[in-house]
This record gives sequence, C-alpha cells and structure tokens, in this order.
Amino acid sequence: MKLKRLTQLALLTAMSLTLFVIELRIPELVPIPGVKLGLANIVTVYAVYRFRAWETALLVLSRLLLGAWCTGNPSALLYSLAGAAFCLCGMLLLRRIIPQQFLWLSSVFGAIFHNTGQILAAMLLMQTRTVLAYYPILLVTGCIAGGFTGLCAQLVIGRTKGKLP
Amino acid sequence: MTKSVKMLLLLAVLLLLAGIAGTWYVMQPARGKLVEIVQDGKVLYTIDLAAAQNREILITAPDGSRNVVRIEDGTIFMADADCPDHTCVKMGVLVSEELPIVCLPNRVIIRFQKGKL
Repeated sequence: MKLKRLTQLALLTAMSLTLFVIELRIPELVPIPGVKLGLANIVTVYAVYRFRAWETALLVLSRLLLGAWCTGNPSALLYSLAGAAFCLCGMLLLRRIIPQQFLWLSSVFGAIFHNTGQILAAMLLMQTRTVLAYYPILLVTGCIAGGFTGLCAQLVIGRTKGKLP
Repeated sequence: MTKSVKMLLLLAVLLLLAGIAGTWYVMQPARGKLVEIVQDGKVLYTIDLAAAQNREILITAPDGSRNVVRIEDGTIFMADADCPDHTCVKMGVLVSEELPIVCLPNRVIIRFQKGKL
C-alpha cells in the first residue's frame, strides 16, 4: 500500500477511535443494550464511499480491536465484530446501488445490518431467543441513528470534494 | 433517483414502521406472575412473584461473573452486577411480557415465563 494511503487510513482510524471513546462518555439515553448513536460509523460510512472495500474493512477491524483494548471491555468485542461484519457486507453491496447523494440511506441500512448482526450474536451467546424482543427497538433506533451519522458523512464528503480521496 | 433507490427508501420506511409496531407490541405489560432467571440458556430459578417473599438471589458463574437479583413486593429486578456497563441494573423492574432484563457480559436473563407448563 502506498504510504500516503496508509497514512490516510491511519488518520481515519484514529478519528473513528476518538469518536468511539468520546461517545462512551455521553450519558446513556435509554438503558437498552445496543442503543447508541454510533458516531464512529461516520468515518466508516465515509470510508465505504471513498476507499476500497478491503481498506475499509481494515479500518473498521483496527478501530474495533483498539477500541476494545482502550475501553477495557473485551466482552463487547464479539458483538461489535458481529455487527460490523454484517454492516460492512451490507453497505459494500449497497454501494453499487445507492449513489453518493443518498449516502445517508446506505448508512440507515448499515445500522440495520449492524443491529441484526448484534442480535444474532446475542442469541447465540445467551443461547436463547428471548433477546429477539429487543430487535424492534433496535430497528427504530438504528434507522434514526444511521440516518443521522449517514447525513454527517454525506456533509463531510460534500465539503471535501476533490481535496481528499 | 433510480428505481432501486426508491425501492430501498420504501423498504427503510417499512422497516421503521415495523420497528415501531414491534416496539409497541413487546412493551405490553405481562399478565402472568411467573418469572424465570436464566443463565447461559439454562433456567436457574422459576419464581412466582405473587407468592414470593422479599429476597436477594446471587448468581455466579465459573468465569467469576456476579449478578444480584432482588425480589421486592412482587417485583423483580437486577440490584447489582459486576459487568462493565450496568445496563441490566439501569433497566429497572421487569414489567413487559416479552422484553427481558439482560446482562449481556454475564449472560443472565430475567424474563416472564412464556407458554403453559
């Protein structure tokens, strides 16, 4: 990989990690597992539309591993990985259909995929279907949060046209 | 806007509406009084809230996880846990038929019993 590309990805990873850590300090709005803004995904959505698939995957994986290490909550890593795997696959596929002007819609589906992955992981790890009851709530918060972060990413891409990759 | 984008937009709206409907459904309060405390998929305790006395139940696992379930005046809730986030504690009292109290790191669930024995 060219040095310039590597540096750009490293910077994005650092930004994503920072957003992730900062978001943890925001008081929880609702005491439901899995409900969060997902600010770190602003970077992820941006990368999906500006970088190659494997570069984005590398970015997300690095951020997840560093995040689990930084925040001292490795048990949450399993859920993050499951969610991210679903989210990335979904968004990378949707990138072919959804143009950049509808980036926010791609992010909405990314959030839906992410929460789906997490619910599936939860059902596996808890060895019960009971947690499925949370899926409707996660769908609603996912749509809203995904739309918001997607909008942020879209605005950033709009402002940095031509200057960044 | 291409046709595919229109379809996806419609799909997103439908999913949102389905989510709202589902949320309303799962938040319906429970009618029964039998609750279960589950860990790793195994039912540890079945309790009749109508007949139970106020007490605390300590749930531990070989990996060192610790949860304290309290039964008080016919309600049940997570009083304490050693998980990093304490979401289970913040959930408060178990009320709805479908929504359980979960401690994901310690794999503990408190829920109303479903179906007939």
